[in-house]
Amino acid sequence: MNHSDPVRCWRCAQAHEAALFCPACQALQLLPSQVDYFSVLGIPHNPVVDEADLTQRYYALSRRLHPDLYQTGTAEEKEASLKNTALLNRAYRTLRDVLQRGQYWLELHGERLGKDNNRVPPELASLVFEVQEKLAEMREARAEDKETAGQTELAKIRSDLSEQMAGLRTALVENLAQWNGDRQAPNLLRDLKNLLSEIAYLRTLLRDVEKESDTQWNA
Amino acid sequence: MERIVGIDLGTTNSLIAFIDGDTPRVIPDPQTRDALLPSVVSFLKDGRTIVGRHAQELATEQPLTTIQSVKRFMGLGMEHVTADDHRRYRFADRQGMVRFALHGKQYTPPEVSALILRSLRERAEAYLQEPIQKVVITVPAYFNDSQRQATKDAGKLAGLEVVRLLNEPTAASLAYGLDKKEEGLIAVYDFGGGTFDISLLRLHAGIFEVLSTNGDTRLGGDDIDQRLAERFLLADLPEALQQDPRVLRSAHQVAEAAKRALSTAEETRLVLAVPDKDVYITRILTRREMEEATGDIVARTLEPCHQALQDAGLHPQDLEAVVLVGGSTRMPLVRRRVGEFFGRTPLADLNPDEVVALGAAVQADTLSGRRRDMLLLDVVPLSLGIETMGGVMSRLIERNTTIPASVKEMFTTAVDDQTAVDVHVLQGERELAGDCRSLARFKIPIEPQPAGVPRVEVTFLIDANGILNVTATDLRTGHERSVEVKPSYGLTDEEIEKLLEESIDFAEEDVTQRLLIEARTEADTVLHATEKALQQHAALLAAGEQMCILAAMRALQEAKTGEDYNRIRDLTEALSEATTPFAQRIMDTSIQEVLGQKRLSEI
Repeated sequence: MNHSDPVRCWRCAQAHEAALFCPACQALQLLPSQVDYFSVLGIPHNPVVDEADLTQRYYALSRRLHPDLYQTGTAEEKEASLKNTALLNRAYRTLRDVLQRGQYWLELHGERLGKDNNRVPPELASLVFEVQEKLAEMREARAEDKETAGQTELAKIRSDLSEQMAGLRTALVENLAQWNGDRQAPNLLRDLKNLLSEIAYLRTLLRDVEKESDTQWNA
Repeated sequence: MERIVGIDLGTTNSLIAFIDGDTPRVIPDPQTRDALLPSVVSFLKDGRTIVGRHAQELATEQPLTTIQSVKRFMGLGMEHVTADDHRRYRFADRQGMVRFALHGKQYTPPEVSALILRSLRERAEAYLQEPIQKVVITVPAYFNDSQRQATKDAGKLAGLEVVRLLNEPTAASLAYGLDKKEEGLIAVYDFGGGTFDISLLRLHAGIFEVLSTNGDTRLGGDDIDQRLAERFLLADLPEALQQDPRVLRSAHQVAEAAKRALSTAEETRLVLAVPDKDVYITRILTRREMEEATGDIVARTLEPCHQALQDAGLHPQDLEAVVLVGGSTRMPLVRRRVGEFFGRTPLADLNPDEVVALGAAVQADTLSGRRRDMLLLDVVPLSLGIETMGGVMSRLIERNTTIPASVKEMFTTAVDDQTAVDVHVLQGERELAGDCRSLARFKIPIEPQPAGVPRVEVTFLIDANGILNVTATDLRTGHERSVEVKPSYGLTDEEIEKLLEESIDFAEEDVTQRLLIEARTEADTVLHATEKALQQHAALLAAGEQMCILAAMRALQEAKTGEDYNRIRDLTEALSEATTPFAQRIMDTSIQEVLGQKRLSEI
């Protein structure tokens, strides 16, 4: 998060601290690619984000950085505009969503959810087992062309899972709310990891249910 | 400030628009006053091409060499060409990108589209009385990278700088939003001649933010015409005639006209007559029959609408308005289905044919630096990824990500002393690489090292046109490496260069050829007239005059066999001069004769 290395303006060579616009000549500057997302949007390093404020900042920055506004500019401005806007878009996309923000927060603390983390979180084990069994039954029935009570049953599963998801999201928001700047918090970090992997798991399950629902619908 | 104009390069019709003061306007054809240029190109035997209305008239006479709906083929490979396409046109027997076979030559879809663009450009230059260099061209929102690249190539081949590719529904939202001063969430349902798009946008204080988009780039009014032709015209014909390109074209045109009529009328008469094929069919078609026959095609537009809403996390009731764009939305059935789906009456008060071109002109105005009060935030319609172990598509940029968008991916080697890593770029939503669209392949050059040691960071950047750019950086040396991306279904830079050179050579050759033909024709006319005069009015020749005239004739006849049109013109002129006194005498005599006759009749 520390990016105090001085950068120099491409136009007037003025030194500055990774500013978007040169403090001396106002020329658009290329942001170093390692700048963190909170800094890009100019908000405090805190995983609790005021989403309305975030969107307003995103719009305001887009209005100054977007490539549409530098079409007639120099090659340096065009490149800075293109790359900065791509970075701004990624930062906004990540921070506006509590899940992605949580994951990003984890990454900023040098942690990450293993991509190959296929272990079923114990809290979800029985639910997952139950849902997958039902899905398997439905697929089998479909293969044999049997009538099923598919759509109503799927709707029930879907609402159950969504409810569970809402609960986890609330827990996630609460977890993030307890963070406070760069305070060391091993318990919070561990809880955050567990929450995020549960959510990731639930999301995959929900997608499977939706896929089955669509297949039945189209059949 | 250099002017940038907006072009709607449509499947059925194309338009060009500019900003007049502060108002976007379409430029009409100087003769017909019609703003719509039919996107039809006819290739004649003598190498000439005809674009627009006249080409459309040739479509039934020369169906195989008159290309309609070329947009459907943009950025596609031969494996995407359907059996129906094969009935309509002849293609080069070659793998890779689509190539039409026309009079022994091959033309790619971007080359055909370039001819349409050239025609629009000429129209605009004549109207604005200034050269046009820079353009914004609209594309269906759901166009993939290859289709976008092909459109850009068409612009280059027409000698234009394509400053921006703009998504059609986004362009429409611009014209709509600025016109109505609307704020909030809107849906743009764009059902054109060959493509369907749905886009959901948030309009807020001059920002037009696309939240999601979906569609089908091979679904449009063409499919409806096709269905009507098959069901109500061709079905009654013997198999052989059903395959005949001329009959097919005629049936298609009759069906299209009927569809248009049924937008307002309850019934219409179909008449298909191809006399030399001994085809004559006539019957009444009701709107109800048409709707029953095409309901499934219209229904196919609703699944993308559902998906777009889901992707944006919205429900129909969240929307402020549903805006209709594209000629196919004139069908009452389409309006009903859209109304039912979104639970509200869709807005149809904009001219569905012109609104996209007008929006393109507005965006062009922003890009030229004149306008600062609005900004478009558009998205990439399809996920972008690379092929990983086991033929799996690994997504790097999700669909509906705001563009420009970039992602970095680290690559290393699997075996010792490997000198390159192969990367296969894909676009699509399916899990397996084989089910996604192959965009490009490239090699990242690597210095020989033990396996796993090299570290090359590859940046995939989708620019504001929705087109992919790739750069690679060797993290050990910090050197940026050039990556040569080979498009799976596109023209390489060299091919474009070559085509451009050829088109310039060809254009010059064209002019020379035309001037030569004109000069010879003129020479023939004069020679013929002189010969006739010598035979009929030999008595009127002055002494020595005949010798002079015969010498001039011989010189011209000899020059005519050569290629020098200037010499032919000069000698034609000389012959005319040599015969002037003679001609004068003939004229006088004729007048006297006429007067004499008159006097006789007066008596």
